[in-house]
Amino acid sequence: MQCKLSFSMATLLIALGLNATAVAAAEEASVTIKSPADGATLDAMEQHKLVYEVVPGPRGDHVHVYIDDAEVDILRELDSSYTLPTLDTGERELCVRVVNRAHVPVGVDGCVTVTVE
Amino acid sequence: MLAENLSYALVQVLHNFGAAGVIAVPLFALATGQAWMEQRRRLLWLALLAWLVQSLSGSGFGAVSYSFYERLPDLTGVALVALGIKITSTLIAIALTIVALRTRTQHSAAFYRHSWQTLAGLGILALTAAAFLRWFS
Repeated sequence: MQCKLSFSMATLLIALGLNATAVAAAEEASVTIKSPADGATLDAMEQHKLVYEVVPGPRGDHVHVYIDDAEVDILRELDSSYTLPTLDTGERELCVRVVNRAHVPVGVDGCVTVTVE
Repeated sequence: MLAENLSYALVQVLHNFGAAGVIAVPLFALATGQAWMEQRRRLLWLALLAWLVQSLSGSGFGAVSYSFYERLPDLTGVALVALGIKITSTLIAIALTIVALRTRTQHSAAFYRHSWQTLAGLGILALTAAAFLRWFS
């Protein structure tokens, strides 16, 4: 009887622990764009790298890169850099969005706005 | 999370079996020479079922995505072209099988062979496009 009770309590604790881990993982999903900085001014004649760090969380799988809301590439590395294509002059929004295995954005993204001159 | 993964997995199961069917049925017909009328009709029904499963399960991926995130997958460039090829192949194959099923006229063996070859070709095209859709989106 005591053995059964201990087993049930252990199962409950494991379940709660797993649930807590899942919740923590969901909260940790994030995108950090390290470079360029938000509000930075970029030279239109130079090549620029988007340096990012992603924690996909339980729903995410990989990321898509967007320039002005138009998808430009798929990245499977989660902590890396991406050489941006030539940017048109003016204000540009660069975004990295976490997507699931079906390529659907899961609602976790990071964006910076830059001015290209 | 479990519901989402389970939904995608079940749709994937249907899609995989549909994929097997769209290739296996015409290849079986070609390999056996689909000698007599009734066997040919049964195989055509099977081919039609496989293509319908493909189209419905393909739409199912979009439906699952929409139900969980209220948006469809983000597809561009090569992936979008691949999806277009898959849809076009499916529509042609379904139309071809329906026409073949409605035709009661007896044709030459060469005619049937070409029809099955076309269906096999459409299946190969759709499955090849699927790989590009999977990895280029």
